[in-house]
This record gives sequence, C-alpha cells and structure tokens, in this order.
Amino acid sequence: MSGDVLLRATDVVKSFTSRGKKLGARSVATAVNGVSLEVRRGETLGIVGESGCGKSTLARCLVQLLPVTSGTVEFHGVTLTGLSRRQLRPYRREMQLVFQDPYASLNPRRTVADIVADPMRINKVGTEDEILDRVRELFVTVGLDPASWRRYPHEFSGGQRQRIGIARSLSLNPSLVVADEPVSALDVSVQAQVLNLMADLQEKFDLTYLFIAHDLGVVRHVSDRVGVMYLGEIVELGDAEDLYETPHHPYTEALLSVVPELNDTDAPRRERIIISGDVPDPSDRPTGCSFHPRCPAATEVCRTVKPEFVELRPGRFVACHHPRNFN
Amino acid sequence: MRDLKVSFATRQGELRAVDGLSFDVGPKEVLGIVGESGSGKSVAMYSILGLVRDSNVKISGSVKFAGREILGLSDRELQGIRGGDVGMIFQDPMTALTPVYTVGWQIAEQIRAHSDVSKQQAKSRAIELLGEVGIPDPATRVNHYPHEFSGGMRQRVVIAMALSCNPKLLIADEPTTALDVTTQAQILDLMEKLQDVHQSSIVIITHDMGVIAQMADRVVVMYAGRPAEIGREIDVVRHPRHPYTWGLLGAVPRVDSKNRRLVTIPGTSVSPLNVPEGCAFAPRCEYRMAICEERPMLHGDDGHLDACWLDDEQRVQIRSTVSSSGDHS
Repeated sequence: MSGDVLLRATDVVKSFTSRGKKLGARSVATAVNGVSLEVRRGETLGIVGESGCGKSTLARCLVQLLPVTSGTVEFHGVTLTGLSRRQLRPYRREMQLVFQDPYASLNPRRTVADIVADPMRINKVGTEDEILDRVRELFVTVGLDPASWRRYPHEFSGGQRQRIGIARSLSLNPSLVVADEPVSALDVSVQAQVLNLMADLQEKFDLTYLFIAHDLGVVRHVSDRVGVMYLGEIVELGDAEDLYETPHHPYTEALLSVVPELNDTDAPRRERIIISGDVPDPSDRPTGCSFHPRCPAATEVCRTVKPEFVELRPGRFVACHHPRNFN
Repeated sequence: MRDLKVSFATRQGELRAVDGLSFDVGPKEVLGIVGESGSGKSVAMYSILGLVRDSNVKISGSVKFAGREILGLSDRELQGIRGGDVGMIFQDPMTALTPVYTVGWQIAEQIRAHSDVSKQQAKSRAIELLGEVGIPDPATRVNHYPHEFSGGMRQRVVIAMALSCNPKLLIADEPTTALDVTTQAQILDLMEKLQDVHQSSIVIITHDMGVIAQMADRVVVMYAGRPAEIGREIDVVRHPRHPYTWGLLGAVPRVDSKNRRLVTIPGTSVSPLNVPEGCAFAPRCEYRMAICEERPMLHGDDGHLDACWLDDEQRVQIRSTVSSSGDHS
C-alpha cells in the first residue's frame, strides 16, 4: 500500500433541518459532525457503526451525492466541495458506488445490460458496439453468464444482482469504489462469494475501497484500516488488525466484546461489556463527549469537554479522555 | 417432532418447504435452528402452531408437545396453546405489535385471553412484566404506543408479551436480526437471564452461527427443508460433519482472527420446487459421490447426527487437507 492520499475529508459536517415536534419549531439533526479522514490509494478503509450513526450520509457527502454543510472534500488534491455539477462531472467517473439493496438499486424496467451500459452511454465513452462488448466483458469479470445480458433484474438472485451492481460500478474504470453495506442483504454463503469477488477485483484493477458496514466481522475481513463511527463522529481510527486487537475507545471495546462468536476454540473470550440505553437523537446531542451517557468509564470531564480526535500512538487516532488499554 | 413435512401446491408443482424434519426439545433446553433464507427453518415452526394459513398447504408428520399431539388440532384448540404454553418472539418487533393500541393494552389482552383475571389485574401484571424485561419506568411506559419505543425496547415489549402466560416453550424467530449489535447483546443477555428465571425451553431460529454459539445447547443445521446435521452446539461447531456445515462455518468473516480467504459454497440454494431426490446439497457439494443420488438419512451416535454419505475416514482426510491449506488460522 502506498501512502499517497486519494481522498481527504476535512471537518465534514452534514446537518438536516426538519420541522420540530412543536408547531413552528425547527430542529437540526447533525448526521455527520466534523469528520476528517484520508483514504489512501490502493487501500480499503472500512467504516463501521450502528444504524443511524451517519455512515451512509458520510459516504454520500464524500462522493458529492449530498452537499456538505461545512468542511471540505479533496479528491486527487482537487477540492470538490463547492464545485458545480458540470465541474464535478470528470471526478464522478472516478468515484463509483455499490449500494446495499440489490433489489432497490437496479431499475426493474431495464435489462441488466442497459443497467451496466448506462454509465458508459451517459459519459459517451465509445460507440454502442464498443459499450456492449465492454458490458459482456464486465459480466465475465464479476462472474455472471454473459448470455444472460438481456434479462431483467428480477430474474437474478440477490447475490447475482449485487454482482450486476458491482459490474455497473466498474464500467467507467473508477479509482475509488464506495460500497455502502454491499453484503448485508445477502445470506452468509453468498456474502462470502461477493466479498471474495470484491477482493479479487481490487487486486486486478488496483481499486481503492471505502467499505461501509455494520458487521464488525465483515469490516475486519476486508479492511486495511478501520474507522468506528458513533453519532456522526469518527471516534476511533487505525490499522484494522491493531484496532481489533487493542481497541482504545470504550465504544469500540464494548462493540467488539458483544459480537457473538463461534465457539470453536478454547481460547479465552473477551469479557462481554454490555452498554445500556440507546443511541441519542442526533438533533439533541449530549454535551461533551457524545458517548458519555452510555460510557462505563465516563467522568465529569466527559460530560463537559468534547474530546479531541488525536493520534494517541502512530497511526491510531481516538477521541476519548480516558482511552482504554493504554498506559 | 417426527418427520415433519410441509409442502405447498403451486402452479409450478409441489413446493417442499420442509421435508422430513425430526428433533426433540427437552425441558429447559435451548435448541437452535440455523439455516439460510428459504431453508424452511421458520415455516417448520410456524406450521406446527397453525400459523401457516394457506389453503394449498399440506402438513404431515407428528408433533407432540408435552405428550400431546398438536398437529391437526383445530384452530380453537391451537389458540389455547399459542401465547399460552408456547410463546413467540418475532423478528420484527414493529410488525409483531399493533400500532393502534398501547403496549399495556396488548399485553393485558393476551393475559386475559389465557387466564381468568380482571382488567386491573392484567394491567398490573403487564407493568410487572415490562419491569422484568428491563423497561425503565414501566408504570408510565405501559400507556405508551409501540412507535414511542426504540427498536430494542420494542423487542423487550414483545418478549414481555411472550412471557405473559409463563410459557413452557418459547419460539424465537430471528429475535435480534433487526437489531444493532449493542442492542442485540442487551436482548440476548435478557433472554439468557429470563430463561434462568422462568426455566422455559427455547427454540431459537437464526441464520447467525454466532447467536447459536452464545445461546443454544443443541443445534439443527437445515438445508433445503431438510436437516443436514443435528448435535450439541459445541460438537457441531468444533467437529462439523456435513459439508454444508463446513461451508456455513467457513464463510463467516471473523472478528477474532486475521484475514483469510472466505470459504464459499458454489452456486445458490436449490429451489424448493425441485429439491433433488438424493442429497439436497449434492449439486453444490465438492465431495459429491455416485451414492449421493440416493437420499442420505440422518445417522450418527451420541446425539450427533448428520445426513451425509461421507464416512469418518473420508471426513478426516478432507478436513486435514482443508486445514493445511490455511482455512482455519
């Protein structure tokens, strides 16, 4: 993995305004609250978090599908935030998305060949014949029968549909693929097929992945580095192996301790840390550290002072006043 | 349960959802049923309680609950069992609760359907139950509607409801699949505690081997409506015998170990419209042999059964080559 940065987000904030509970009142939900991160060329950066933590909103902000409220996103050193749609066009080809739901993300009224060909037609990358040749080539690449190219999405299983979504994302030779829960709708045996396929494609086409998922096992499996999100913030970020072995943020520690694991060795298991309560409402954030109302290690300072996101040790960033497993 | 078969007559022919399932659940035992979507794990449990209402369904076999045959009972008789001696916890707590009544009303109604108590008594029992499943301030929350609860809290309400008549058996269908991992931990923890207190048996239906490992004493692995392997949880996970179980266990990305290439099972599940006459898994099985054209029966000893033609010697040989190629780290 080379160190050069493909995508850099600096202090990205995304908030949504909605009508509040009382008549005439407005409430502002901050879905992404000041996220800074770098995606390096050739790596897989995993973002893990529970539902409502803002991971999908973050992904959409990074690829400019949603305008950011504040902060900047740079891609190849070019600041994308603030560019017009026309100015963004050349960069969009470079950043493609794979979506969670292979049923909702494919137009049921178009053939799968059209679905995969459309990005190329829109970007006028060749003649129709060239495009269709490329479609068949992509089908082979993702392990679909090229003879099935004239069928419609409903004729395919969930795993096959996700392969179609992947073929579409690759059609313009992107450098960055943002995958938002690409396997969470699939059965475990099919999930394994798709994950292995994504690993092969990354190697073959030198892709950079931003991989978003709620499943901690999946994220560890695919990622070089991992960011843990809680309530719109990245609370911990670091090398995947190291972060899973030695979590510093109490939220990460608790999260990892409660994943039900196969009982296949006598190795001692992590002590389960069950955190109580639910994730707070993003329109009514706690003061100080966002996690303090549920944190077993919270003290007075956590209630009042928001912890900085600092590099605790080389490559390991954490936003916590009382990092765990650190002397 | 003995040789349960559930099939549906469809235009495309007979759809065999469950095809010869037999198992026992002992008192205070937690049995896990694991399988992928379409393996028939839910249909099996729903059909025995008369919850599969389809004029084209055909159910055969024998299901004895506390010594009494319950297959073929009238709807009225089954009503006494459902929610009484057998409680149910469903996957999606929002659809298991009606949005138009308060949770207290819904729990009280169930209590009154099964026992002769006054409305007042039923309501105070509902408050007690909500407290028991860990809902803060139950006396106020009892008057709230389902939408006022978070997902995890709603699942607690569903559990309170399932417990309301002190069931002997609790059937939990993917009870934590819709929940986040921290909430899942809270609910599994609660179910373990409640099982200790109430001493009921549990059948937990899930696709997650991790949940099985945490909760179950014994496990049934299902494939295409048939049991592939049955045994004590620890035996099945540590010494799996059926190639489908090998695939299922190897395909799970782990939180506790390094990256390795995931084991994949080629192809997709067979359509229940045309399950092969022989072994249902044979078309996807790497180790298929000529004899797999014939259907293997469950066999084995010491309570660890499998439906596979491989013998122990072949298994040992296969497993040693697989593990030396770095399958298990």
